[in-house]
Amino acid sequence: MQHTITFTHEDKQSTAIVPTGAMLSDAAHLAGLDIGQPCGGQGRCGRCAVQVTDGNVRRRSTLRLSPDDIEQGYALACQTVVEGDVAIHVPPQEKIERRLTTDRVVAEVTVPADYEYLQDQTVRRVHLRLSPPTMEDQTDDWSRLQTGLRLQANVNKVNVSLALLQTIGDVLRAGEWDVTAVLEYPLEHLEQPLRLVSLQPHHVDEYSPLWGCAIDIGTTTVSVWLVDLVSGGVRAQVAEYNGQIARGEDVISRIMYASKKGGGQELRQRVLDTINELLETACKRVKAKPEDVVKATIAGNSTMIHLLLGIPASNIRLSPFITAVNHPPLMTAREVGINAHPEASVDCLPGVASYVGADITAGVLSSGLDTAENVTLFLDVGTNGETVLGNRDWLVTCACSAGPAFEGAGVVNGMRATTGAIEEVWINSETFEPTYRVIGAGKPKGICGSGLISLLSEAFITGIIDKAGNVNLMASSSRVREGAHGGEYVVAWGEESESGADIVLSRVDVDNLLRAKAAIYAGFTVLADTVGVPLETMDKVLIGGSFGKYINIEKAVQIGLLPDMDWSRFEFLGNTAVKGAYYALLDWKKRERITEIAKRMTYIELSADNSFYEAFTSALFLPHTDMSKFPSVAVALSSKVKGRRSNVGMTE
Amino acid sequence: MPIEIPKDKWTGSIRAVTIGATSAEGGTRAKSITVGGQTSMPYLHYEAPMPNKPVIAIEIKSRKPDDWSPLLADAWGEAMADPAQWAKKAEEAGADLIVVALTLADSPEDAVRVIKSVLSGTGLPLIVWGPGQAEKDNELLVPISEATKGEKIVLGICEDKNYRTIVATAMANGHLVQARTPMDVNLSKQLNILISDMGMSKDRILMDPTTGALGYGIEYGYSVMERLRLAALQGDAMTQLPMIVTPGFEAWKTKESKVGEGVPEGWGDWKARAINWETLTAIALVESGADVVVLRHPESVKRVKSAIEELVAV
Repeated sequence: MQHTITFTHEDKQSTAIVPTGAMLSDAAHLAGLDIGQPCGGQGRCGRCAVQVTDGNVRRRSTLRLSPDDIEQGYALACQTVVEGDVAIHVPPQEKIERRLTTDRVVAEVTVPADYEYLQDQTVRRVHLRLSPPTMEDQTDDWSRLQTGLRLQANVNKVNVSLALLQTIGDVLRAGEWDVTAVLEYPLEHLEQPLRLVSLQPHHVDEYSPLWGCAIDIGTTTVSVWLVDLVSGGVRAQVAEYNGQIARGEDVISRIMYASKKGGGQELRQRVLDTINELLETACKRVKAKPEDVVKATIAGNSTMIHLLLGIPASNIRLSPFITAVNHPPLMTAREVGINAHPEASVDCLPGVASYVGADITAGVLSSGLDTAENVTLFLDVGTNGETVLGNRDWLVTCACSAGPAFEGAGVVNGMRATTGAIEEVWINSETFEPTYRVIGAGKPKGICGSGLISLLSEAFITGIIDKAGNVNLMASSSRVREGAHGGEYVVAWGEESESGADIVLSRVDVDNLLRAKAAIYAGFTVLADTVGVPLETMDKVLIGGSFGKYINIEKAVQIGLLPDMDWSRFEFLGNTAVKGAYYALLDWKKRERITEIAKRMTYIELSADNSFYEAFTSALFLPHTDMSKFPSVAVALSSKVKGRRSNVGMTE
Repeated sequence: MPIEIPKDKWTGSIRAVTIGATSAEGGTRAKSITVGGQTSMPYLHYEAPMPNKPVIAIEIKSRKPDDWSPLLADAWGEAMADPAQWAKKAEEAGADLIVVALTLADSPEDAVRVIKSVLSGTGLPLIVWGPGQAEKDNELLVPISEATKGEKIVLGICEDKNYRTIVATAMANGHLVQARTPMDVNLSKQLNILISDMGMSKDRILMDPTTGALGYGIEYGYSVMERLRLAALQGDAMTQLPMIVTPGFEAWKTKESKVGEGVPEGWGDWKARAINWETLTAIALVESGADVVVLRHPESVKRVKSAIEELVAV
C-alpha cells in the first residue's frame, strides 16, 4: 500500500509517495530533503530527529529521544517506519543539536543576582569637586584631596604610592579640581587605610564601566575575562595558549626550565606577554585601554603563580613538595608586570598545596561544591587533572598529571576551542566517513578538546581503533592509513581544511588522549576509594575544563573519561577557575570564601602507594579494562559487533 | 582436637586449553596436550584436584643459533643444525611440547619447510614463535598457519601492538595464540580482551605474563602470575587462561649462566650453576601457577619434570 508523506521544512512543503514499511529517511530523500545522518542511519546520533505532526509511524529505536520528545511526536528518521499517510515537520539542524540530551553546553556567564557594586566591590570610584587653592587657602594638593575624600566620600584615611603622588598636582589642575578617584578598600583588615589607585582629571559618569579582569593562568591555556565592576558584567572573554608551552608541556618541565640560568625570568616574561596580549585584545573589544583596568584577580596552579611572580618554584618538584607561598599578598600591576593601570591591585587567589592551586580553590567556589548538601565530585579536566570530592562539611582533593591533550595541545592537529576547531565528530560505522561540526562553521583548522573526545569515542565505537588504541589498518577505508607515527585516521582531507593539509588523528594522539583520560579517571576513582565513597553514590559530577562550548557526556563516558552513570548527574561548567576568579573579583565575601575553601581542603598524595598506578593502567584502555564498570558502553559495542566483523572481513 | 583446614571457595576456574590435534582431531600429532582447568590455587589438592599438570616445552630454533651458550650446544650437539632432529631429541629428553623459534633470516618458504619437517620429526604438539619483529612475525606466521591448518599450533607471540594478523590467521586455520604482556595484571587482561574481541575463542589463548630469571625480577613475575590466578578464580573471565612462561630464555641470558670464566670462584661450576639457574627459575614459576614452562637444557627438563611430579602427587 502506498502512502503520502508530507514534509515541512523551513516553511516549504515537499511530498513523497512510499509503500508501507518504508523508512522515513528514505521518504525524505525521495522528497528531495537532505536530513543529516552522521552515524550512518543507525539511530546512534539522533541528528535526524523529525516531528511527526500527523499520521501513523512505528519507531524501531528511540535511543536519543526522551519520553517528552516522543510525546511531542519526535522520531528518528533513520529508525522510523511509515504505516500510513504522515505529515512530518523537519526542524532546522541547529534546533536538533540543541535538543540533544547528551550535549552539555557551558552556561552563559550571568552576573550574580546579589551583586551590589557599592557593597561587594573593593574598588570604587568617587567623584570629587574640590575648591581650588587661593592665596587665602594654602592647603597642599594631597591634603586637599584627602579633605575632599573625607567630606565627600566619608573616607578618613587613604594611602598613596609615590608614583601616583608624583602626578596628582598635574591631574588636579588639568581637571580643574573636578576629578574622579578610584579607591581600593582593604580586603581582610578593615581597619587598614584605603588606597588611592588612580586619579582622573575629569568627572566620570557614575554608571560608565570601571574595568577589572579575572585571569586564569593554566599550564596550557590562559584565560582573561574583562569585567565591568560597576554592573558586574563580563564584557570580553579571551583565551590563548600559555606562551610557556614552548618551554615544556607540564608543570614539572616548566619548573626544571625555570631552575636553569635565566629560565625563571624567561618563563615569567612569556606568561606576562600572553596575559598582556590577551588584556589588550579584550580591552580593544570594548574600546578601553589596558591602563583603564584597575583590579586583577588571578587564579592558577601553584607553579603558574610562582612563575608569574618570579618566585623560585624548584621546591614544588622536590620532596616534601613545599611551595614558597600558597597565598601571595596583594600586589600592584606595576610590581607584577601586568600592563593594567600600574596601581591596579593584583590579587593572586590562595592555593592549598604544591599541586592543588588557586585554580582549584576558585573552581570549588564557582562550582558551589563547598556549599553542596550531598557528596559531589568536581573534576578539572585540565593538564593537571585535579579532583575535589566533598560537600559543605568536608573537601578532599588530589592531582595527577594528565597532560594537555584535552586542551588540544600535544596532539598533531589539536587546537584550542576557537573558530575553525572541529568540536564534534560522528563516524558512519559502515563507510567510516566522518561528519563534523566546526566552531564558526568555516573550514576546519584542527580539533579541540571536545572534538578529540568525540573523535576518539567514534573511532573506538566504529572499530577504527581497538580498545588499546591501535588503529585497525584492516578497516576498508582510505581514511585509515599508515602515518609517520603508526596508523592514523583522516578526519578532514586537505581540500576541506583551512591549511590544505589533511587533519588526522594519529596513533600518538590516541596515546596522549588515553593517558590523559586514564590519569583523570584513576585520580577520581582512587580519591573516592580513599575516602570510601562509591562513585555511584555521588549526587553530582561537576566538570570543569577548556574543551569548548560543549562536552558530549556520552562520548566522554564511552572513552572512559567519565564514570558510566546517569547523564543527568553530570554538569559541565566550562573553565571553572576563571569563573571563580571572576566571582572573587566582584565580591569580597566570595573572595574570603576562597580563603576558607583553601583552608578546608585536605590534600591526598596519590604517589603515596601504588593504588594510583594500578588504577591508571587499568584505565589505560577503552573504555576500561574492567568492562563491568561501563555497562552502557558494552551495550553500544555489542550492537556494533556485527558491523565490525564484516568490516575486517572476518568470520568465526 | 581435630583441626579443620580452611578451604577457599572460588567462583571462577581456569579454562582447559588443548594444544595440538591428533589425526582423529584433524591434525597429525601423536597426542594432544591439555593444560589449565584448575579450580583452586596451585597444588592445594585438599581444595580441589588438579585436572592437568604443568607441562614442559623445549625451545628449538629454526637455524642453529650462534648466540646460545656453548653449554646448550654441548647438550644438543649436531641436532641443533637440523630442527627435525633437534625436535626429536627434545622429545626424547622429556618435552611435552616443542617450541620452534623462527629467526629473522628465515624466508616464509624456509619457515614453512622447517615447521613441516619438525611436524614430521616429532609427534608432539607445537608452539611457533616469530622472530619478534612485528612485520617479520606476520610475514612468517601467516603462511605457516595456512600450511598447518588444523594442527592446533600455538602461534606467537601476540603483543598489544601486533596481534591482529596473528589472531586472524590462527582463527582462520584452527590454531591457538600466545599473548604476551610485560608483567602487569591489567596489561594481560587488556591483551586478552583485544584478542577475544576479534572473535577468538578464549579456549585458544595462552597468556604469557612475561617473567624474569632468578635474581632478575622473578619475584615480580611470580607476584603478577599469582595475582592473575587469584583474579581468575575470583571470577574475572579475562584472566581465566592458562599461563605460559619462558624461564629458559630468561635464565640463559643471565651472566651467571652465560659466563664461565673470570667470575668469582664461589660461583662454583659453570654448568651446574647454569642448569640450576634455569631449573630454579622454572620451578618457582611452576609453583606460582605456570601451566607451560619453556626450557632449553635437557638436564633442566629432567629436574623440573621430577619437581612437577612431586608437586602433583597427592
